[in-house]
Formats: sequence, C-alpha cells, structure tokens
Amino acid sequence: MSRYLARKLSIYLLTFFVAASIDWAIPRLMPGDPINGLIARIQADPTAAQEMHGYYTESFGLDEPLWRQYLNFWLGLAHGDLGPSIAYVGSSVSDLIRAAIPYTLALLIPAIVLSYIAGNRVGALAARRKVLDNTALPVAYVLTATPYMWLALVLAYFLAFRWEIFPISGAYDFALQPAWTWEFARSFLEHWFLPFLTLFLVSFGGWAIGMRNLIIYELEADYANYLQALGAPNRLVRKYAYRNAVLPQMSGLALALGVIVGGALVTEIVFGYPGVGTLIITAITNRDYFLLQGIFLFIIIGVLIANFLVDIAYVIVDPRTRTGLQGS
Amino acid sequence: MASRKSRRKTEVFGFVASVVALAVVATLTAGGAGAGPQGAAAVPRSQTLYTSGKQWGPYTNFNPLKPDYNTGVVGLVYETLFRYDPLKDKFIPWLATGGKWVGRNYVVTVRKGVKWSDGKALTAADVKFTFETQKNTGAQYGTMWKTGLSRITTRGRTVTFHFRGVPNYQEWDSNRYTVPIVPRHIFKAYSATELVSGNASNTRRIVGTGPFAYGGGAGGSQTLQWNRRANWWATKAIGMRMPMKHIVDIHNTSNTASLQNFLQNRIDLSNNFFPGINRHVGGRVGTYYKRAPYMLAANTAWLVPNLTKRPLNDVTFRRALAESIDINRIVVADYQRIVSKANPTGLLPNWNRWVNQAQAKSLGFNFSTSRARNRLSQAGYRDRNGDGFVEDKDGSTINLRLIVPKGWSDWETAIQIIADSAKDAGIKITPAYPDFNGLVDERNTGKFELVINNEKQIGNTAYTYYDYLFRLPILASQTAANFQRFSSPQAWALTQQLNKVPSTSVARAKRIHSQIQRVILTQLPAIPLWYNGMWAQYNTTHWTNFPTSGGNQATPSTWNGYINMTGIDALAKLRPR
Amino acid sequence: MATVEPQQETVVAGAVVAPSVTPQGRRRSETLYFAFRNKKLVAGLSLLVFMLLFAIVGPMLTDYDPFEFYDAFGQPPSKEHWFGTTAPGQDVYAQFVYGLRSSFIVGAVAGSVAAAIGMAVGFAAGYLGGIVDDILSILTNVVLVIPTIAVLIIVSAYLSVGSLLWEALLIGVTSWPWAARAIRAQTFSLASRDFVSLARLSGQGPWRIIVKEIAPNMSSYLFLTFILLFGGSILIAATLDFLGLGPSEVMSLGLMLNVAVSNSALVLGMWWWFIVPGIGITAIVAALYVMNVGLDEVFNPKLRRT
Repeated sequence: MSRYLARKLSIYLLTFFVAASIDWAIPRLMPGDPINGLIARIQADPTAAQEMHGYYTESFGLDEPLWRQYLNFWLGLAHGDLGPSIAYVGSSVSDLIRAAIPYTLALLIPAIVLSYIAGNRVGALAARRKVLDNTALPVAYVLTATPYMWLALVLAYFLAFRWEIFPISGAYDFALQPAWTWEFARSFLEHWFLPFLTLFLVSFGGWAIGMRNLIIYELEADYANYLQALGAPNRLVRKYAYRNAVLPQMSGLALALGVIVGGALVTEIVFGYPGVGTLIITAITNRDYFLLQGIFLFIIIGVLIANFLVDIAYVIVDPRTRTGLQGS
Repeated sequence: MASRKSRRKTEVFGFVASVVALAVVATLTAGGAGAGPQGAAAVPRSQTLYTSGKQWGPYTNFNPLKPDYNTGVVGLVYETLFRYDPLKDKFIPWLATGGKWVGRNYVVTVRKGVKWSDGKALTAADVKFTFETQKNTGAQYGTMWKTGLSRITTRGRTVTFHFRGVPNYQEWDSNRYTVPIVPRHIFKAYSATELVSGNASNTRRIVGTGPFAYGGGAGGSQTLQWNRRANWWATKAIGMRMPMKHIVDIHNTSNTASLQNFLQNRIDLSNNFFPGINRHVGGRVGTYYKRAPYMLAANTAWLVPNLTKRPLNDVTFRRALAESIDINRIVVADYQRIVSKANPTGLLPNWNRWVNQAQAKSLGFNFSTSRARNRLSQAGYRDRNGDGFVEDKDGSTINLRLIVPKGWSDWETAIQIIADSAKDAGIKITPAYPDFNGLVDERNTGKFELVINNEKQIGNTAYTYYDYLFRLPILASQTAANFQRFSSPQAWALTQQLNKVPSTSVARAKRIHSQIQRVILTQLPAIPLWYNGMWAQYNTTHWTNFPTSGGNQATPSTWNGYINMTGIDALAKLRPR
Repeated sequence: MATVEPQQETVVAGAVVAPSVTPQGRRRSETLYFAFRNKKLVAGLSLLVFMLLFAIVGPMLTDYDPFEFYDAFGQPPSKEHWFGTTAPGQDVYAQFVYGLRSSFIVGAVAGSVAAAIGMAVGFAAGYLGGIVDDILSILTNVVLVIPTIAVLIIVSAYLSVGSLLWEALLIGVTSWPWAARAIRAQTFSLASRDFVSLARLSGQGPWRIIVKEIAPNMSSYLFLTFILLFGGSILIAATLDFLGLGPSEVMSLGLMLNVAVSNSALVLGMWWWFIVPGIGITAIVAALYVMNVGLDEVFNPKLRRT
C-alpha cells in the first residue's frame, strides 16, 4: 500500500515540477512586453513613460537573464511568494489569490462532494428501477452535455432575472461587511446558491450516468449471476455490485476534477463571483505574467492534492491495492 | 467493510465536509476582507451614496502620487491647488486662493486655515514638498522638472515656482489641478521608491485636506468606504458641505452584475459603461443629457493609421478612407447613441471655443461612399481584378489590418462596422483582436497598420491632443504619442509654440489653434471617429439633483481626475430624497 | 510484474465497454439488427444528423451574414429575423448556423487529433509494455492530472489562436490522456490472447500486429472513444470561445455567448441571444453521448436491457 501511494506521490511531484516549469516558461516565450501594456493603461506622459518603463521592468525583475528569473521563481515559491501583480500594481499575487480562493473552494468542494454522492445514488437506483431509468437518465444526459456557462446563464436568467428569487451576482450583499451574523450568512448563501447549483447539476449528470452503467455491468457479471443462481437475496447482490462499481467511479473522480475546475471558472464569470475565475480573466486581459502563473500553480497544486486524497480513499476502499496485486 | 452503514457514513462525512468548507470560507472572507470599523447595520442607506464603475481591481493603492489610486483618493481625501471646470473652462481656486505669473515665475498663495485631517495646518512647505517629490525617477508628474521648472521657493504662504526659459504654460496649467497636495509631515517618512510605486496602504496614515476620511474596505473587500469628516476647510471658507455621511464605492466584477445592482436601486451614481442603458433612461434612471448622446464627452476615439505603410502614407487615400466610414452606424448600432460623432478636428466639445468651426466645416471630411469611391479611382486606386476591392497604384493588394484589444467588445463591434462600411467603398479592412499587451507592442514598435486609440482624456487644454498627434522626434518605440509617426516639423513647432502661450493670450492662442487644426483637417494624421462618454448614470431613488445639462453642470464621474475637476461640486449639490 | 489496469475505465460520460469477440460476419448483421432496435442510438443519431443538416443547410436558407449589421437592434425573434438580433444588429440565426458549422469542424478535427495521439500512445504502451509502457504511462499521468482547461487558457492567452484549426489542434493535443489510458487497458487484455500470440510467432512486427490484429478487434471501442472525444472537444472549444480565447474572426457558439454576456444581454432581457447558442451545443453533445451509450449497448450484449 505504501509503495502504491509512494509511486503516486512521486508522479505528482514530477507532474508538479513539469507543470510549474511549463507555467513559468510559456508567458516568457511569448512576444510582447507586459510593462508596455501597464504603462499604456496608466496613460502616462511620454517622458515619464520612458522612465516608468525602466523602473517597473527592473522592479519586476524582468530584465534579469532567464535562468535567473527561473531560479527566483523557485526560490520565491519556497517562500510562498508568487511575485507582484502587473494588472493590480501594488498587490502581491499571493494576496490576490488568497482573497479569491475561498470563494472558488466554497463552490467547488460542496459541488464535487454532493454531486458525487447524489449522482452515484441516483445512478445506482436507476440501474434497477426501470421507471427511474427512463426519466432520470435522459435528464442526466442533457445535464452532462450542457456547457457550464450556458446552464449558469439559463439559471441566472430565470431564477435571478425573471423571477428574482436569487441575486444575479456577487458573493454577498455589498452593503454588508463579512461577519458572523445571520444576515451575512443568509446573504452569502443566497448569492452562493445559483453558481453552486450550476456546478452541481452538470456534474451530477455525469456521475449518475456513470454509476448506472457500471451497476448494470456488474449485475451482469459472472459472480452476480452465480450468487443469484445460489439464491442470494437481490440486496446482497446489489451490495457487492455497488462496491465494485464505486472503484472506477473513484478514479473517475480524479479525472472529473479537471473538468469541474474549468466549469467553476466560467460559472464564476457569469455570476460575477469573486473567485479565481474572475481573477483569471483579468490576468489574461492584462497579460499579467505573475498572476496567471500563480493561479495556474494553485490550480495544479489543488488538483494534485485532490488526486492524492482520492488515491488514499481508493486505497481504503479497494483491498486489492493494499496487497499490491491491483490498482492503477 | 463497505456496508450500507459505511456508505451512510461516507455520505454523512461528505455532508459535514461541505458544511465545514462553507464555514471555513465564511471565516476566511470575514478575516480577509479588511478590518472595517462598522458592522452591517452601521451605514444608513439614506445618508450613504453608493458609487461604482471605476474600480476593477482590489482596493490597494492609497498613494495619490501613483497612478490608478483607489476611487476618491484624490478629490475626496487629497486635494489639489486648483480645480478645473471643463464645461466653463474655468480654474477654481481650491487649496490655493490664487496664482499668477510674475515674469517667468508662477506665484501661488496657499489658503489660510486649511487643516489636515490630523489637525495640523496646511502650509507652503507641504506644497513645495509635494512638487519636489516629482523629481524622483518614474514619478507621474515628473515632466515639469525636465521642461523648465528649476526650483521652488516659499515665503510665508506663497509658493514660487521658478522656470528657466519660457515656461510651458499649457502643461503647467494642467499640473495646477492634477497634482494632489500631500502632508509633508507624513510623506517625508516614505522613501523615493515608496513615493513613486508604493501604496501608502497604512490606513491609519491616510491624512488629507479633503471632506472625507478612510472608513474601511482596504484590500480585497467588495466595497471601499469613505466617511465624512468634520472641519473640512471648504465649509467655513465657501459654505460648501457634503450632504452624504458616507460614500461607498463598489468594486466591479462584471458589467452585468453592476447593471443589475444599479437597476435594483442599490447603486446611486454609476460610472460603468453600460451598453444598452439608453433603454432605461427615464423614470428613476437619469443621465447628464436627457437625450442622445446622454453622456458628456470624455475622450476622442481615433482611427490611427501607420503612416510608414502604403497606401496609408498617401493623404488622398487617408481621406477616402475617412469618407468611407459610417461613423453614425457605430454611434447608433454599437453604442445605441450614448456616444456622439466627433468633430473632424477631433477636439472635444468642451474645447469648442478654440475650434475654428468654419474651417472645420469646409475642410473636414464627411461620410460619403460615393465620394470616397471617386476619390480613390481618381487617385489611381482601382479594382483591377474584380474582387470588389481596390488595389494600390502599382497593382499590389490592399488589405489593411485594423486592431483593437481582445475583449473590448464595443470596439470589436466598432471595427467590424468600419470594415463593413469601408468595403462599400472598395477598401479592404480586416479586423483583428490581439490581446492588449500584444496590441501595445505592435503599436509602439510601428508594426501595426490601423489601430483605434483613445488615450488622451478631457482636460484644460487641447495642447495634449496636438502633442498626441504631432510629437517629434519619432523614436524607434513610440510609447504615448504620435503612434502614426506623422512627421511635420511645422505642425510640431506650432504645437510647441502653443504650449508657450499663456491661457490669457486668447487671440494669439486661437490663431495657433486654427493653424494646427488646418493641418489636422487637411493632412489627416489620424481620423477622429467618435467621442467616448464620461459614463455616468444616476439612480434617483435615494439621491436627487445629479448633474444635468439643464441643472447642475458638473462632471458626474468618480473616475480618476474628475472629482478634482467639478466632481466635488456634483457631489456637494446632491440632495437626499 | 506490471500492474494490470482494472477492466473498466470510467470516462467522462461513464461509458463502460468490454471487448466482444464473435466471428466477424455474424457480428455485423447482429450488430445492425440491435442497432436499429436500440432507442438510444436511434434517438441520438437522429438528433445528431438533424443538427448536422442544420449546420450544412441552415446557412443556405438565409441571406443574412453572421458578421454584418442590420437595422434591427436587440430585437426578439420575428418574421424577418427568425432568432432575433443582437444588440448591435447582427442576425442571431445566421450566427447560430455558422456557429454550428464551427462546432462540428472543431469537434471532428480535435477529436481526430486526440484519438490519433491516444491510439498511438495507448497501443504502444499496452502492447509493447516494459520501459516504453513506463515512460508513456508517466507522460500520460502527468498530462492527465493537469486540468486541460487551465493549460488551454494559458496557452491560448499567449498564442492568440487565430483559426479554428489551431484551436482544434490545441484541444486535441491536450485531451488525449484518458483515451490513451483506456486504449492501453484494452490493448493489454487483447495482447494476451491466442490470435495475437499466433501473429507474434509468425514473425510480424509489433505495429503490424497492432494495426491488423488488435485495432480491428477494438474497433467498436475506438469508435466510441472517438465519439466521446468529439463531444468533449466541442464543450472545451465552447468554453475557450466563451472566455474570449478562441478565434474571433470565425463565428462560434461560444463566441456568441461571450458577446452576449459582455453586452449584458442577461440583464437587458435579450434571452434569444444566449439561449439559442447553448441549445445548439447541448443538442450536439447530448446526441453524441446518447449515441455513445446506445452503441455501447449494441456492441456489448451484457449491457442490453431489452
């Protein structure tokens, strides 16, 4: 088991190293000078502009040789310093990300966990009840085929714009300051619900379909037929089928993370939710090297950690990995 | 053993985990959102003015000497020597009671009785200190030290600015109302680097002469709050009093979000760009003008050609190009009339008295597809291969690439319209949307062909526009002016001449203006398209008496630089409903 | 001893396949018989064909150009403009049908590229095993874990995607890992079969064996994988276009959503502008996914419920 986990860990470390290096390299290999863009946005006087250009290039360390910048990058990373932001001059990237991450996590964690649980449940139910199979499954297919941002728009249009049940944007009512009060909690949940719902619904579809197919497959497997032939109760058969079906669903969880993270980004943009998604768009438009780098790193780290957690859970659930015979 | 019990356990675990996640998030946001002294109920709606539209980034920059400071830092907290009214073309004595030229020196009298928010008095030393900070490398207003200002002396309450040679009057006039005066006793502790690029973010040391003081929201918060303070000098000196106890500026995440909040009466003064707002004007929603263009003009959008490329180097071709563009369609379709077509000289309406209107009318271009076609064919640009587009005189294809920054959707639509209408005259234009930095790169290094640019804003003098068009010498990299690389020593000489004319010599100034405008009209170094608006829409549910053309004629914008024009007047005249 | 992948591999829509090996001739007619009886396949295929026809024929039914401006600003659907107009006056129907074309092109190209890479990597890893497998597996795992969308955002932000083909290429090059993994697993189990050992004994080269023996026996699986890649690519492309990272010179459904949102279509009530493109994307992708499951049932008797 520890060998299995150790192998996984080493893959993740390697992935991190590769991804971080690519992340660092790509912005710098592209043409164009972000400082020029910064100066242009400030619309400084031409004489002042020349000076400012030199000044900012130096203070951002962009005039140093590439290998030096690469070294600084890793050194800074060790200190948790991701560099200064170019788009928001004066803020550090880690501050910006730290401010945005809680909101994105607030959407992602409940959405992933709840859609996984609910989806698997409904999928398993649909596998054995024809009625549910014929109604829930088509819905699940449509849901999983729906692009996140479109579902976000549809929900926002009907529930927020037309029927005004929920607010259309923001994380909480801007007249409130964050505090441990009922009012704030209510406002926060109100604003949180629609983006959460968007992520939940689309992911739910995928899990339900997956589980349903796996259960059906398991129920047709030899051991299931054998048990039934022996006269075992259906419930017992289903129990074993479910346990076997959970395994590939779990490895699918790791895969699905990448998809749902992308979904969270666009959903945030539609709802103006102040998470990482909105930050990315600003970073892109302003060619903010450091901010984009930092966000990307965070996403990578987050996904790797999540993958590792899933691997641990997989080890717990699948006894075969513990004996080193199987497991991917 | 994964039984039903453990399955239930997993579910419960998942549920609990989600709840915990939410709780953690709530804590993080509560902690990270900056220490606001008040809680939720502390800001009464009827005494608070909610603004939005200016701030897209976090509220980090409280340094008035660094560009892109938070909403209101200059204007509500830090003030300037004078203010400028662009609609009446008047300077308003503010922290200075007067200023005049004595030979080559400009002598300013600092107002008596002005106190900083920490109780200390404003002195001439503060003014001297402030202007001397601009000597630092990279300082925003540093140009004056390179173009004539040699030293500053003080005596009592007068500050004398000594100039070498004939001063650049026009540029100097701008400094009078843009440079914010900072307290020496606080800012002297900052190093040169901090003065130029620091954020001065210690919120306990935000000390200004203005009517508001810091109230909360620094950092990543959704709002920034300013609280009205007692002992503002203007109340006693000129009887001006701020009617709102709090001004809360809202951080923008998206225009959709802001528009929704605005329409739901939660924002009073919005300076967002809201395409489609014209549908809502009337009732509770107001704008400066009751009808099109609804907004005051804030800057000119120019179609900038690269004059080093063929056939853009041919003035006849440029004129035909100008005549082929249906600017009206851009105004109506793209902006639904919240902008207006520009004067052929490109000068903003507030400079109308300097514009030789008769000359502009007779020499300026007008939209006419047929005239454009004729002009092109007479000049030798003909469609020889029957593809609907004209070729160059030597037969080579003409396909002009017109760029705007990716994501600037109204400009993206505008250049599509331009390409569409130019097609009718036979000119092939291909719209492209590089990202902002890529565009700046192309533009500055001279690789572009056509680009839209609007960087020069409204101000006290059209000199800035002439400088933008004619500045010489042309360098390998043009960073802020003359992107088109127009080389006319004569026009540049005239521009510099204008700079050396004091604003009191009206007749002489007008003559030079007229000559320069003639160059713009006949040579078309750039093609003026439309005026972008000083975006402002009002929701009169909680506050009334916003600036209108028929009422309080003030600049209704919280964007940087406007409060210290007549924005403060706009705010002072508001009335709670 | 190399670890064996579990037989089933969960993919995005949860399609599960086990290889079926029945004699070729009987399989074909049996397949067709079940194909036409399978409701999901019929429904999915019909919808897909309908959308495809819509994309091909649709533009011919209108005189409007997707990029040109007309004198109707932000109008709801009417006789003149069947799907209404955008705020600056473009025809939504024209944009929609041209956008459908783009979706199909991107899906096909990206899907093919991803399938090609996935097959190359999967076959090589699964058949050749050993060090080749180890290296390719590491490569696959690394690319797999990095969220596609994050990479695409970074790359397209800097590369400024200029054309549909480039976008498709980019997507194809980043979305192959799960396919490679799945194909590898299948190849493993097939590689230990008798007929493969026979072919090996007869001295055929590894790629010959892969192409002539293994791939044909996985053909149904490969086809299903391709369909999923096709659908997945359309969704990814739509996301990129929505973020403004796709080619803006070409009309696409994601781009329509992007412009609609920038113009506050939501708050101004112009529902036709953003509802329509989303329906297009959902319809195509749902059709593909449903087809996928239907085909799965057709190819694998174990899954048939009828």
